[in-house]
Amino acid sequence: MIVALDIFLRLAAWLLLAPLLPGIINKVKAWVAGRRGPPVLQLYFDLAKLWRKGVVLSTAVSPAHVIGPAVAWVAIIVAALLLPIGPAGASLSFRGDALLFVYLLAFARFCIALAALDTGSAFEGMGVAREVSYAVLSEAAIITALLTLCVQTSSVALATMLAPSAGAGAALLAAGLFGVLLAENCRVPFDDPNTHLELTMIHEVMVLDHSGPPLAAILHGASLKLLLFAVLLTEAVLPLGKLSLLPAIGALLASVFVVTIAIGLVESLLARLAFRRVPLLLTTAFLFCLFALLVAWKGVAP
Amino acid sequence: MTPGWLLLVAGVGLAAGISAFKLPRVWLAATLAGAAAAFAAAVWMLATGAVWDWQLDFIIGGEKLHLQLDGISAFFLILLSILGGAGTLYSSEYWTDKMHPDSAPAGRAWWNGLLLNMGFVLLCANGLHFLIVWELFTVCAYFLISLERQRPEARAAGWLYFAASHVATLCLFAFFALLAARTGSWELGPMREHRELAPLFWLALVGFGIKAGIFPLHIWLPSAHANAPSHVSAIMSGMAIKMGIYGLVRFTGWLPAPDSAGWVVAALGVISAVLGVAFALGQHDLKRLLAYHSVENIGIILIGLGFAMIAVSHGNAAWGQLALAGALLHVWNHGLFKALLFLGAGSVLHATGTREMSRLGGLWRAMPWTGSLFALGATAIAGLPPLNGFVSEWLVYLGLFDAVSARGHAAFAAILAVIALGVTGALALACFVKVCGVVFLGLPRTEIAEHVHECGWRMRLPMLALGAACVAIGLAPILFWPALATAAAAWQPGLANALPSAPLVMLGAFHLALAALVILAAIFLWRRVKQNGVSREGTWDCGYAAPTARMQYTAGSFAGIITGWFDWILRPQRHAHLPKGNFPAHADFVEHTPETVLENIVEPTGSLVMRVSMAVRHLQHGRVQSYIFYLLLGLVALAILAVMGGAK
Repeated sequence: MIVALDIFLRLAAWLLLAPLLPGIINKVKAWVAGRRGPPVLQLYFDLAKLWRKGVVLSTAVSPAHVIGPAVAWVAIIVAALLLPIGPAGASLSFRGDALLFVYLLAFARFCIALAALDTGSAFEGMGVAREVSYAVLSEAAIITALLTLCVQTSSVALATMLAPSAGAGAALLAAGLFGVLLAENCRVPFDDPNTHLELTMIHEVMVLDHSGPPLAAILHGASLKLLLFAVLLTEAVLPLGKLSLLPAIGALLASVFVVTIAIGLVESLLARLAFRRVPLLLTTAFLFCLFALLVAWKGVAP
Repeated sequence: MTPGWLLLVAGVGLAAGISAFKLPRVWLAATLAGAAAAFAAAVWMLATGAVWDWQLDFIIGGEKLHLQLDGISAFFLILLSILGGAGTLYSSEYWTDKMHPDSAPAGRAWWNGLLLNMGFVLLCANGLHFLIVWELFTVCAYFLISLERQRPEARAAGWLYFAASHVATLCLFAFFALLAARTGSWELGPMREHRELAPLFWLALVGFGIKAGIFPLHIWLPSAHANAPSHVSAIMSGMAIKMGIYGLVRFTGWLPAPDSAGWVVAALGVISAVLGVAFALGQHDLKRLLAYHSVENIGIILIGLGFAMIAVSHGNAAWGQLALAGALLHVWNHGLFKALLFLGAGSVLHATGTREMSRLGGLWRAMPWTGSLFALGATAIAGLPPLNGFVSEWLVYLGLFDAVSARGHAAFAAILAVIALGVTGALALACFVKVCGVVFLGLPRTEIAEHVHECGWRMRLPMLALGAACVAIGLAPILFWPALATAAAAWQPGLANALPSAPLVMLGAFHLALAALVILAAIFLWRRVKQNGVSREGTWDCGYAAPTARMQYTAGSFAGIITGWFDWILRPQRHAHLPKGNFPAHADFVEHTPETVLENIVEPTGSLVMRVSMAVRHLQHGRVQSYIFYLLLGLVALAILAVMGGAK
């Protein structure tokens, strides 16, 4: 009973808080640009509206066009439940769940990509090709980050791996994971969520043909993924598992807020990179994680 | 009935199938019965754990027949019987007498010969007999690959396979002969205490490695798998290359291996995994692409096996068992999902007559069964939860992560292997998004993709069975652990451990919950969409007025970013005629990824040997005068030698 309640509360927190992040980012961007900007809760309004709207389906699509977003959304939610919340741990934790976490996100990517290719549009094909190609590099980076945490804690369970701080290499790991966060969530400088030129987009171009409830699932899933990466970054760096529950949650919320503002600032101050430079930046993120791994290796006495 | 009787039934069934090759129905019944009996025998062995050992006074080639079914044999025999049964049923609709009057009866005979001899390879415990049945299995496979003799590509593929296999057999001849010479007997069995046998491992690695398709020994594999009939591709990729893995597992278990062996196997595994999938991305031919994925998956298996060998040479570390369990389970998993994918590709080929992906598209409309089962197989091979591919990769990962935590000799190598495995997984995902998207989704790119038909139930049923097996291993992995533990114990007695050190129960429960939630969410969203109302429009092509189906992204353009990263090894050849002038009349672009190892290393070496031989041939042209001249030269040389060397 308590387990069920625990899972329910976490689920509610993840689902309800996630759409806040894009709102904060947009507010920061508006503030830097001297505009008033959309309300922080804009995504909630959008989601509520989309959920009630009718759907325009392309004549080319198969049922995968609707099923894909649903499956991807579930995969992201389930991955979120694997992440621990400070000292409270994860609602589900076992040896090897760190790898499950990575592969669940890959599963979500697989489903969204197939749903996009389903429309037969050349632009969406481009978006998918970019998404799955760049994901190769970000997956290498994230696996290396997990290796760093594994060296540090001698564990392959997220709840144990994320409890202490990342030690001497924390700054390197934070830099690497922040790069992965930007790339995986299609933010500037990898992708521009606001551009109106389909040729230059990654994520947004994959969902051009989605509408109504499936689009709501995709948008909500994307905001969840952003929150998930922000939490992962925070917990990998800060020793939240060593604090008591309330300070840990406070610190977690504060750091996620800081990360969100940082994303907003990056988006305001940087331009999007040319596509041929994206792999270089991602390789840099991977190298940050690799150096963090080396630091951890030297730092922990065998 | 004991395993012995069941195996006898299996052998009789398959042999009866050979003799009844002109009667398709009798052949079908006999072969399926044989496969079922072999399956029962292998399950029996794995369930009871009792080794079946049978020695006869029946003498072949001066050696007594000795058959043995232990954990490893039974483990591979299960896969053989499942894939053999599935392929048999599939071929009864795919390669019928009506469509292929010349080759179908012969194909049935060779098919049963292949199954029978692969079964014997798994059972033989005598080096001489092992070689005989190994050669027979190779020959049967050759005739199956070149079943469509009228096509030059099939003949060339068969010839390449034949040549490569005989290099492998040559190494195995040397291996078994040296083994017999040093031990004084052709009998095989555990002889780990004879340290002097360790160097023989390298011969076995090359011999079995060619068969398994390890990079760079894989040269025969892509064309053979692409040009064989699809049920043959399925068994070749699912089982025949696993015979190479069987050989490596068997003889690293029975014989001592050099200290460096584990490292070499793991390094070959990493190379095969990453480059296999890179080459797969560069392919535009559906079956050739799947063939390169076999190289990738063999790589994953070898990473597990290599680290298990390293663990054994460092005192049976616990992570070695996880790596070995992952490798063995991946043998099953790859056999199941790759056979499923090849059978799916066969249905596409059957319906459209082309393997060229960029001419297909939108096949899901006419082929919903094939399309969904292919997507299931693609999810499994990309190693995604909740299916079986993830379970085995996860076990290998866990073994490697534990090796990193243990911080022993292997830790640094394990770090590299983990990163390579992660990259391989992401590349495989990209590749299968490409395949599913280009072949089954979108709109038909050419007319051939418009008029297609779904395959019949005898082709659908084997695919359904293989798909169900993939789901079963994914959702309830713990049920299959006893089989893994028995096989691991047969490999190294030190690894006998009935309880997994990985939380497979938790993983299974998680996968079940995930599968249930996924289905619920899909139904829920589907109903919501229906409730809100659906209207149909053409795909939004960003305001372009007259989009056509040919504007869709193709296989080549999709993989372009990644193949660009691997240009240094893929060396794609591009021929472009770009549009010129205000009214361009003609433009085209052709891209082709060559077989780098074959075309840049093996063929130049071969032609060099040929040129040297041709040059040497000038010495012998049949003129008596020159022969007298050679004699004279020889005499002079001898005379000089005698004078210079002194008269000792």
